[in-house]
Amino acid sequence: MNYTKQIQDIAAKLFAEGKIDVFVGYRVNGFDDNQVPALITDPQDVPKLVFTDKSVFNLVNYLKSEHTRRKRVGLVVKGCDSRSLNLMLTESQVKRENLYVIGICCEGVVDETGQKMQNCVECAVPDAVVSDELLGTPMSGSLTLTYRVNADIAKLSEMPLTERAAYFEEVFENCIRCNACRHSCPLCYCAKCCIDQETATLYNGANTTSSAFHALMTWSLHLAGRCVDCRNCEKACPSHLPLHLLHKQNESVIYENFQEHLAGVIPEDRGAFYKYSLKDPDDFIM
Amino acid sequence: MARVGVFVCFCGANIAEYLDVPQVVEEVKRIREVKYAVDYKYMCSDPGQGLIRDAIVQHKLTSIVVAACSPRMHEKTFRKALSDAGMNPYLLEVANIREHSSWVHQKNKKAATDKAMDLCRMAVAKSIANEQLHEISVPVTKRALVIGGGIAGIQAALDIADARIPVVLVEKSPSIGGKMAQLDETFPTLDCSQCILTPKMVDVASHPYIELIPYAEVIELQGFVGNYKAKIKKKASYVNFKTCTGCGACWQKCPVKVANEYNLGLDKRKAIYTPFPQAVPNKPVIDAEHCTMLLKGKCGICAKVCQPGAIDYQMQDEVIEREIGAVVVATGYDMWDPTPYEEYGVGRFKDIITSLEFERMVSANGPTNGVPLRPSDGKVPKNVVFIKCIGSRDEAKGIEYCSKICCMYTTKHTILLHHKVHDSHAYVFYMDIRAAGKGYEEFVKKAQTDTAATYLRGRVSKIYKKGDKLMVRGEDAQIGQVVEVEADLVVLATAVSAPKDNPDLARLLGISYDKYGYLSEAHPKLRPVETAKAGIFLAGCTQAPKDIPETVSQASACAAKVCGLFAGDTMKKDPMVSTINIEYCSGCLNCINVCPYTAIVTDEVPIGHGSKELRTVAYINEGVCQGCGSCVAICRSMAINLAGFTDPQIINEIVSI
Repeated sequence: MNYTKQIQDIAAKLFAEGKIDVFVGYRVNGFDDNQVPALITDPQDVPKLVFTDKSVFNLVNYLKSEHTRRKRVGLVVKGCDSRSLNLMLTESQVKRENLYVIGICCEGVVDETGQKMQNCVECAVPDAVVSDELLGTPMSGSLTLTYRVNADIAKLSEMPLTERAAYFEEVFENCIRCNACRHSCPLCYCAKCCIDQETATLYNGANTTSSAFHALMTWSLHLAGRCVDCRNCEKACPSHLPLHLLHKQNESVIYENFQEHLAGVIPEDRGAFYKYSLKDPDDFIM
Repeated sequence: MARVGVFVCFCGANIAEYLDVPQVVEEVKRIREVKYAVDYKYMCSDPGQGLIRDAIVQHKLTSIVVAACSPRMHEKTFRKALSDAGMNPYLLEVANIREHSSWVHQKNKKAATDKAMDLCRMAVAKSIANEQLHEISVPVTKRALVIGGGIAGIQAALDIADARIPVVLVEKSPSIGGKMAQLDETFPTLDCSQCILTPKMVDVASHPYIELIPYAEVIELQGFVGNYKAKIKKKASYVNFKTCTGCGACWQKCPVKVANEYNLGLDKRKAIYTPFPQAVPNKPVIDAEHCTMLLKGKCGICAKVCQPGAIDYQMQDEVIEREIGAVVVATGYDMWDPTPYEEYGVGRFKDIITSLEFERMVSANGPTNGVPLRPSDGKVPKNVVFIKCIGSRDEAKGIEYCSKICCMYTTKHTILLHHKVHDSHAYVFYMDIRAAGKGYEEFVKKAQTDTAATYLRGRVSKIYKKGDKLMVRGEDAQIGQVVEVEADLVVLATAVSAPKDNPDLARLLGISYDKYGYLSEAHPKLRPVETAKAGIFLAGCTQAPKDIPETVSQASACAAKVCGLFAGDTMKKDPMVSTINIEYCSGCLNCINVCPYTAIVTDEVPIGHGSKELRTVAYINEGVCQGCGSCVAICRSMAINLAGFTDPQIINEIVSI
């Protein structure tokens, strides 16, 4: 998977035609061949843009930044990224007319060791669902793509409850409350996050396991039915917390109970928690 | 610092017998902020309230906790006590130690006491964060919407309009009148139904305070009590009612014949028609499903013969909006379809008819000019068998309830048969005769003597054909034998059932309905005409089967409720409404999505102080907000707070236990 040439051409053309103020893509970081996000405002920098299977980050996150707000933006999105973009559009955080979206039919990206990432192996929506221009061959036509329950979740659900509790206790202990997970998530765009508010005493105070637990659980519930499994949060976490466990658990419960709902696939779909349907399960109501 | 007073009620023995009230008092006294705590036998009584009033002044209390029954019961009482002592009434907190503790834990006094203490601690903690709130005034639209133009809707509309309150009466068929317009005579006095109904129909049409909208349906209701907005779909009638004179030339010349609904298909009407001669408004409509001009573009005779030129084949459905303050639902009932009674040969034997078909036959303006005739050969029947409880009281095939009116109308039918066919004989198969009502039992007794009808107590097991007669086999339980009656005509006293559309209507109005489809009243005994949604009332059979006198009473009761609601120019509203902190609002607008009252709209505010750039945020209209809290729960950035249930209050409660 290499679309470097096409993306450079499109970006150059967009700058030449005056259609965008800023282009959000990937560039090589300078030390090794790993990539970092690149926000380009000068057409001369276009040749720095690359796109390969090392283009791991979800660039939709940069639509939250001061550098792109209320500007005309060119943007590269993979399948998962495009789903988060869909949610940003639905939740009126960005205006579609300000964006020029280059969608990728993604074959999966790799981690630092060169192995295909777990979320890409399990990916059910590899093609960008929002785009002005689609690069690559759509895979939803040729492959039978089905939703698969995450392997880790399957393993976790087999653990006895006490063992599972002990495991998560350890996970939350390692959290340093740096909030990098939140800052790296495109869907955490709130003006003032609930866990930062003075009245929200549960999350406040010292850096304790309890405050980490409440903050992370609240965070994962605010993303339930919205998380697109791009794993930006895990890439950003300095403590290497297995944050996907929280999100994938929510995702599988929602998929099973809310008419096979997957976040952000359908435009204008706010997610399972934010709409009401007569088909919604109600057998948990006593 | 907060100074809280706690008042724990014995509620006679209701609370005191199952938990240790003095111990609860001692326990709450240990809370630092509690400056006064006391128990009393009946806190809601005047001396009980006096305790609260005096303590507020004496101990300079800043908030009050009453530990007693459910706030639904006495919250208002105690709020008033606070106001009387010069305190803001919303500084009150009620700890429900009766329904939530003593009543449900009657067998474990220790646990009940512990739980009551917890409830009190929570209420004290919450009350510390209570703020002064002030009632909101909202204007009232003094106009009522009545849905359904049967006798219930007519009576409610007339009574409300007589109080000089404008009424919008919406009827789905081309004429008002409902089922009562199909009846011949009414029990127990045998008044002619049309003679007592049609003057009221005319009154509706001519009343200056009633806007009659026939051939229309309510398709949307938004807003809240006092301030509803209704969307009404006027179905295309293809006749301009303003120019039509009702002369009748069109329906005389129309070549298309269709089964006549008014006579239950026993005769034909035209494709352009008025349902019956006394219809109000007496203007025809075109049946778009059968008119050849509308279906195939051929014919156009009605337009040719119409002198005022009132026919308009291009007419479209039209949606109109009305602002209203209250709704009376009077959608009536359906006759139950007896098809499941296969052993009776329903559908196979033409000479088995339903009671309403019999009613139409004996009616002077009916399909047979008032004489009952056998549908098979048009002969006058001599032996007529009436079978009661068809569908009613039949858990296997029909419905569990008693339809209430069938005993009486069957009695009436035996009299009508006797009047129309003097040498006839009526047989009545019955389970019980239920004749509770003014003059009803006397009516049944008199009918039995006058008509000499044979009453057979028992159910019919089978009907079969023998020549041109129907053999009705049933049990006479009083002699314990199987009997067979040779009948010329069989009349089934079919049950009253809820209108098929009721569940849809209930959903549209936001009210509840029961398992049969009848709309639910707020309380079966003490609030029989209100629904659980403020400002929506029920009249007539749409709530449960009932006869005409009862229906009319309920309709008038609705009118009284509507008039009471509209007595002032504004309505006071609880200040428990949501507000948005726009600093925190991220503009995702999920709250708009979940608000059941459409109280939330978008607003634009500067992105920062002094900035000209705008961003979108949500805005809550406090007049519309009902304080349900859905938006509070859905808001991820916790930008929304519900007054009286703010985050500090709730967190205080959680932390206190």
